[in-house]
Amino acid sequence: MIRRRTLDVSGLPDIDVSSQEPIWWGQICLCCIEGAMFCILIACYFYFRLSLDMWPPPGTQLPHVAIPTVTLILAIVSCLGSYRASEGAKKNERGAMLRGLLLNLALGCAFLILRGYAWYTLNFNWASDVHGSTVWTILGLHTMDATADLLFTAVLIVALIFGRTGRSMRLAVHVDSVVWYFLVLIWIPLYIVIYWAPRFVGAPA
Amino acid sequence: MTPVTEPPLGEIDDEGERRALERSWRRRPGIAGWFTVTTHQALGKRYIVTAFVFLLIGGVEALFMRLQLARPDNPLIGPDKYNQLFTTHGTTMMFLFAVPMMEGMGVYLVPLMLGTRNVAFPRLNAFGYWMFLFGGIFLYAGFLTNTGPDAGWFAYTPLSGPQFSPGKRVDIWAQMITFTEISALCVATELIATILKMRAPGMSLTRIPMFCWSMLVQSFMVVFAMPAVMVASNIFLLLDRTVGTHFSNAAEGGDPLLYQHVFWFFGHPEVYIIFIPALGMVSSIVETHTRRAIFGYPAMVLSLVSTGFIGFGLWVHHMFATGLPQIGEAYFTAASMMIAVASGVQIFCWIATMWSGRVHMRTPMYFVLGFVFIFVLGGLTGVMLAAIPLDLQVHDTFFVVAHFHYVLIGGALFPLFGAFYHWFPKFTGRMMNDALGKINFWILFVGFNLTFFPMHILGLKGMTRRIYTYPAEMGWGPANALATVGACIILIGGIVFIANALASRVHGEIAGPDPWDGGTLEWAADSPPRNYNFVNLPVATSRYPMWTPPEERVVVTGVRHDRREALVTTLMDAEPPIWPFITALLLGLGLVGATFRFSWYYPAFGATGIGLIGWFWPRRPEGVRS
Amino acid sequence: MTRARTLFIWAAAVALNGCGGHQQSALDSVGPQAGKIESLWWFFLWLLTAIFLIVIFATLWALTRRHRGIEQEPLERIHLPSGETEHRLTRVVAGASILTVIILFALLIASVTTGKALSELGPKKQGITVEVTGNQWWWYVRYLNGDASRIVVTANEMHIPVGRPVMLRLNSNDVIHSFWTPNLHGKRDLIPGRVNTEWIEADHPGRWRGQCAEFCGMQHAHMAMWVIAEPEDQFERWMEAQRAPSKQPSSASELRGRDVFLNNACVFCHHIAGTPAAGQVAPDLTHVGSRLTLAAGTLPNTKGNLGGWIADPQNVKPGNHMAQIDLPPGDLEPLLDYLESLK
Repeated sequence: MIRRRTLDVSGLPDIDVSSQEPIWWGQICLCCIEGAMFCILIACYFYFRLSLDMWPPPGTQLPHVAIPTVTLILAIVSCLGSYRASEGAKKNERGAMLRGLLLNLALGCAFLILRGYAWYTLNFNWASDVHGSTVWTILGLHTMDATADLLFTAVLIVALIFGRTGRSMRLAVHVDSVVWYFLVLIWIPLYIVIYWAPRFVGAPA
Repeated sequence: MTPVTEPPLGEIDDEGERRALERSWRRRPGIAGWFTVTTHQALGKRYIVTAFVFLLIGGVEALFMRLQLARPDNPLIGPDKYNQLFTTHGTTMMFLFAVPMMEGMGVYLVPLMLGTRNVAFPRLNAFGYWMFLFGGIFLYAGFLTNTGPDAGWFAYTPLSGPQFSPGKRVDIWAQMITFTEISALCVATELIATILKMRAPGMSLTRIPMFCWSMLVQSFMVVFAMPAVMVASNIFLLLDRTVGTHFSNAAEGGDPLLYQHVFWFFGHPEVYIIFIPALGMVSSIVETHTRRAIFGYPAMVLSLVSTGFIGFGLWVHHMFATGLPQIGEAYFTAASMMIAVASGVQIFCWIATMWSGRVHMRTPMYFVLGFVFIFVLGGLTGVMLAAIPLDLQVHDTFFVVAHFHYVLIGGALFPLFGAFYHWFPKFTGRMMNDALGKINFWILFVGFNLTFFPMHILGLKGMTRRIYTYPAEMGWGPANALATVGACIILIGGIVFIANALASRVHGEIAGPDPWDGGTLEWAADSPPRNYNFVNLPVATSRYPMWTPPEERVVVTGVRHDRREALVTTLMDAEPPIWPFITALLLGLGLVGATFRFSWYYPAFGATGIGLIGWFWPRRPEGVRS
Repeated sequence: MTRARTLFIWAAAVALNGCGGHQQSALDSVGPQAGKIESLWWFFLWLLTAIFLIVIFATLWALTRRHRGIEQEPLERIHLPSGETEHRLTRVVAGASILTVIILFALLIASVTTGKALSELGPKKQGITVEVTGNQWWWYVRYLNGDASRIVVTANEMHIPVGRPVMLRLNSNDVIHSFWTPNLHGKRDLIPGRVNTEWIEADHPGRWRGQCAEFCGMQHAHMAMWVIAEPEDQFERWMEAQRAPSKQPSSASELRGRDVFLNNACVFCHHIAGTPAAGQVAPDLTHVGSRLTLAAGTLPNTKGNLGGWIADPQNVKPGNHMAQIDLPPGDLEPLLDYLESLK
């Protein structure tokens, strides 16, 4: 036994489902990384546009905007599911978490399927020209991220069904919602760039 | 976290707590232990040792290059091998040595300095290490099978594109970047979370050790710079090469210059990513060995942070010769010179610290002084390079080679050697031999200047970079011969260091926890630190808690010792996990396969998903412990 | 002080000039462009050397100030300088930082002024325009002219008239190269899909070597060129000679050599005006005999070197794109006679 000046912290909770957790900060860092990458790609899009007279290059049809707009609205609505799930996680309500995640997953899948259809109707591909390369890369990367997060959501649902509702599980639900907000948020500028930018800045320079 | 006032006296069952900690933080025995380690000391040491091995390999490559250039028209190494050598040398030093080494030092030291038990995400840390190791092995597997990259470490398109670099050489380079950037991003993320959220109670922003500040700034730079190289090497270069996109193909509207912009938007901050941690090391060494608090702490922190910001605004000074509009170029000159102010302020503060402190001239201080000499010289040639007219002459010549070796070896390697001598007792529990250390310093210092100073003159005399030979009538022979002699002396210095380290590890004087009477918290832990670092987590009662009289120090109680727990965090992990290794292995295999065939990406990401699910699956209901 | 300075200048001069080679040096400027840069260089060098010495002396002074024998003193846990010392140091460090800013500002102004002066140098006077196109690993050089028949094409060397500004239009056929003749001007990149321009001018007659400065692949080291500055009349004579079609063979051996050339794969890549050889992917050989070097500065242009180059190009310049042609014995000699006669 030794005597020291001490600061007793045994009263602090194990896990706090909030932005106090390191994992929340880690997730914010990952969002910064992804966000920086998409920002660079947007900058590249306009760099290419400035160096060419015709945009999109000859032979490329302007992408349709109707279906992508619907998918954007779907994505935004699906955030409600994430929100309900994360609120449920904070209050430790298994039902709310499960319902929220299911809503998120369902709308997210619809979002991806509709996007796939809109993508399929494009009359250019990655190897057509530099416009095609940029648009396909942005679409591909965002789709990959969204798919990965939806898979993670599905895994969380399975874990919840199997009765895992511990505090780190709740934290995972909370962080999962952060990722989905980010993916929807970053999609708004990307959507504008891919579907509207050719209309706004497409005229010959 | 508010500073603690009037903490009560409490009783601590020292032995009992120690036993409980030993139990919950022990490694798995045997091979399984090797693949499942998640403690930051073990992983930090692995990073450091692995990166050091790559330093040796890169150094040997440099030596071969110097032998080839030692005399004109030398038939020793042909152009093909030489181009692979300098590309691999640059790639190794930047991606496999410098960045991982700094990160390893951060992984090892930051939790100790902050007074916590581990980094915020130990499994991510393990995953990052495995990715780094696999990336390095991948690059050298290519190099040893005559498939080493040969387009230079910045692989400008279209030379590196599908038309002018057929084969797999450049693919290996580009994919190797993926490995190391994932690794760097893992470490950056976990260090940011650790430094922001896991500091000892009482450690307000104004009490963070300088080295942790430097790692924080460096980590943020990694977070915003690495995505750029992802875009350059993985998207522009690799997609152009594997699936036929047109990012760099001028015929289809692409632009080879955009690759340069994006690459240098990463590449310039990369230099600061390497040398900002070194600045933190210098601060740590200086304050410990002058026995006074660092002079101008706020100014030092502000310089680091502003270096971090300005570092992103300089990239075009690598591209002055490409013929960009003049007004933009003038801005980049101004920004490049501005960053010299930030470095200058730090140099002045260190000199002031030495001036008003009690300098003990031990080996780490020798390396700091060597750093000041070499780095200031390199910084001043950097100012020359910022001036566009001068840059147009010396760009891509040996002058630039001299400049960046002065900045990177002077600015990063010398502080790093100082740091080895400084923290070796912490790493191993034994002191390094000081007399041999000073000899080591002088050999390296003389060898370095002999190698690289003549290159300034060679550059002005017209010797361009990356040439494998030159005609005798150019008159570059003598200076090149001198540089080669210098390179051999550096080699001797390296051997002396290794000998000293190996011998000291076994026979060195026992160090004890605090051989230098340092001020920061890493000296409160045992040498080498236990897996849990501290029996009772310390409280930072001042910027230098160890310089507070012992009776005024405070420790934390009430953290659970029967599982891996640290303050302001979750459970570290239930037991040492294998999943980070498996995930890294699967992703690594996929990435390697994808350099040969794009479709490998699909199984790679699928398999990685499985690895990640295994990683994150909640083991058992919480609160029940085995 | 003056003696030390003299000594230093002398030492610097020896160091900088002691390694020979003045024909490719940024410190032997022969034109207004390189001259302005060189002046800026010396200004930077002296100022920054002074700063370097001050910093190093300050460091050494800080060390030796009062620390001799400190190892013998009892260890104190932390050394706290007096408040007055801290205050004084703060002022010194702040002063030094402000001084740094001022000096850098001066350097910035000097740099931008020089840059502006450089950009105004070329276009003022009546000049000529030369197109330089980079290839792996040689230089295509074309003197532009409104009259297509007066265009001159050559390779790996450039003649310019003394005292007249020359505008270079720089472009590349494959990868990025960089044109650099340090005695005349700094470097400028040759980028596929873009045209960069640069003005050069020589003050007096002479020959200067230039070299590709951007890594461009396997034989980056052997991509040199010569710039030859001549008085106006001599330059015009050279231009006239270059405009002429190739010299007709004047001996049996040369005649045989021409047949060898025309009947082999040479014609797929090389052009010789006045013959059916019309290849466009390799250097124009119409006046190859008049050039200083072979294979982009790799070898001096002698008959022996030319023979070695044709017989085994991969030995001379490994990785280059010249095809190896196995000539029957007895064909090489006439071929060399013919090519060397193309003055």
